[in-house]
Amino acid sequence: MIAHQVSVFLENKPGRLEKITAVLKEQQLNIRAMTLSTSTAGWGILNLLADQPERACQVLTAAGHPAALREIVVVKMTDAPGTLHDMLLLLAKAGLNVQNAYGTVLGDQRSAILVIDVEDAESVQQIFSEAGVETLSTEQVYRI
Amino acid sequence: MYWEPEIEQLPLARLQQLQLERLHKTIECAGRSPFYRQQFASGGVAVEQLRHIDDIRSLPFTTKDDLRSHFPYGFLADPKDGPVRLHCSSGTTGNPTVIFHNQHDLASWANLVARSLYCAGVRPTDVFQNICGYGLFTGGLGFQYGAEHLGALVIPAAAGNSRRQIKLMQDFATTAVHTIPSYLLRLHSVFTELGIDPRRDTDLRLFVIGAEPHSEGQRRRIEELFGVSAYNSYGLSEMNGPGVAFECQQQNGLHIWEDCFVVEIIDQETLEPLPDGEFGELVLTTLDRQAMPLLRYRTRDLTRILPEPCPCGRTHRRLDRITGRSDDMLILKGCNIFPMQIEKVLMRFAEVGSDYLIVVENRNGNDEMQIQVEVQKEWFTGNMEALENLSRKISHEVRDEILVTPAICLVEPGSLPKSEGKAVRVQDLRKPQESV
Repeated sequence: MIAHQVSVFLENKPGRLEKITAVLKEQQLNIRAMTLSTSTAGWGILNLLADQPERACQVLTAAGHPAALREIVVVKMTDAPGTLHDMLLLLAKAGLNVQNAYGTVLGDQRSAILVIDVEDAESVQQIFSEAGVETLSTEQVYRI
Repeated sequence: MYWEPEIEQLPLARLQQLQLERLHKTIECAGRSPFYRQQFASGGVAVEQLRHIDDIRSLPFTTKDDLRSHFPYGFLADPKDGPVRLHCSSGTTGNPTVIFHNQHDLASWANLVARSLYCAGVRPTDVFQNICGYGLFTGGLGFQYGAEHLGALVIPAAAGNSRRQIKLMQDFATTAVHTIPSYLLRLHSVFTELGIDPRRDTDLRLFVIGAEPHSEGQRRRIEELFGVSAYNSYGLSEMNGPGVAFECQQQNGLHIWEDCFVVEIIDQETLEPLPDGEFGELVLTTLDRQAMPLLRYRTRDLTRILPEPCPCGRTHRRLDRITGRSDDMLILKGCNIFPMQIEKVLMRFAEVGSDYLIVVENRNGNDEMQIQVEVQKEWFTGNMEALENLSRKISHEVRDEILVTPAICLVEPGSLPKSEGKAVRVQDLRKPQESV
């Protein structure tokens, strides 16, 4: 099972991000992690790791925001120097381009997760499992 | 197939003979108005010297400024005949323009609109919903009387209240609609919200669209969304309103009713007549209006006459799509740009919506153009690179069309400013240039 993040289009203007978080708050949807990528042309894409991505995408679309589900791979790493590098090397060798990636250190302070947005999540999942890198199941991702 | 077979297929020579006869009468009639009486007196118009319709070129032009400066009664030809109706333009700058009609004029106008609608395929069996402003705007009453004269069942739905429009369409099984093109795109989104598929859940088969410049791409998009055929209408209040020129089943140019209007295309700079096929400003003369005849009226609409005969068999020549107005032309970095050229390019991209806003401003002495377009929810994938490529591609294709590279600014759906009825398309924020 491939996990999903929610990607939302927004204009880079005061109050636009709040309009999105207001929708999520109203629906009692929880955000686990997020990044905001902005273009130079005054707009950006907000990537959200949410507890219920399908529902988040649906309510945002209904509220008029262009929103889409994007496949992601979530990897668990030990919180130690070099771990990220070794893992990215695997993707580079396979010629896979990372669209976006963001991470967070978990509560136990010893491990970290990395959310990777690639065009072909399935191949990445396979490369990681062959190399013995631990990826999180869909259920684990949404319950981080 | 024809509303008036004989007139619509009149051979050129006889059509021109009819025009000449009617021009003589029109000049005689116009001479009774204060404006033309004075003009004729100073210029000396000799009706007997007009021996061919092309001799009309010896008459001076009439402009919108003339109409404004002789507001309100300066063009009224015969008060005794008794005009029975007037229509007014909005008059955002200075005096409005007013047009008077007597009973003959209204009957003639209704007949032209009926002929036009019939030409596009409207029949007495149709239920015709007229979605546009009634009142001073000519599209309301103009289409109302015309479609009634044709024999269709007419719903005077007027403008606005999309849900009610859709309910009327369903309750009375509307088959034909007249409205402005940008409204149809908005109406479609209301259909979608209500979960009604206009292709499946209505009897719509024919649209008449006009009063607002639009590209061929926009027409095709409307046809596809609704599963109908959409026909272009051309008119202006100075020439009654709707019913001046209309598309036939060929959807290739608009037949202009030459028994009631003399058509000329002139070079905007030299004011010299241009041959068929060449683009210039449309100049029209009324041939069947008594209360307020207009001679050689400069419409400011830019188009050309399609030189080839139409397969439909009508001998009245066709106007090409209006490419713009001589007064909405933008001059940027020495290039003449019409918003319509930009719209045409945008229509090729399904990823962006139909609304757009062109903003022109001067930054550090440089004129720059920005085009704001709305990201379509359906096409959004969350891929940043894809959107950046899209912006670049739109910018390149617009540059190929207008020779100026615009900045493309993607905005959220529904965020572009809309005015009542007509969409706001251009904001020119440059300071007025000092006269040289």
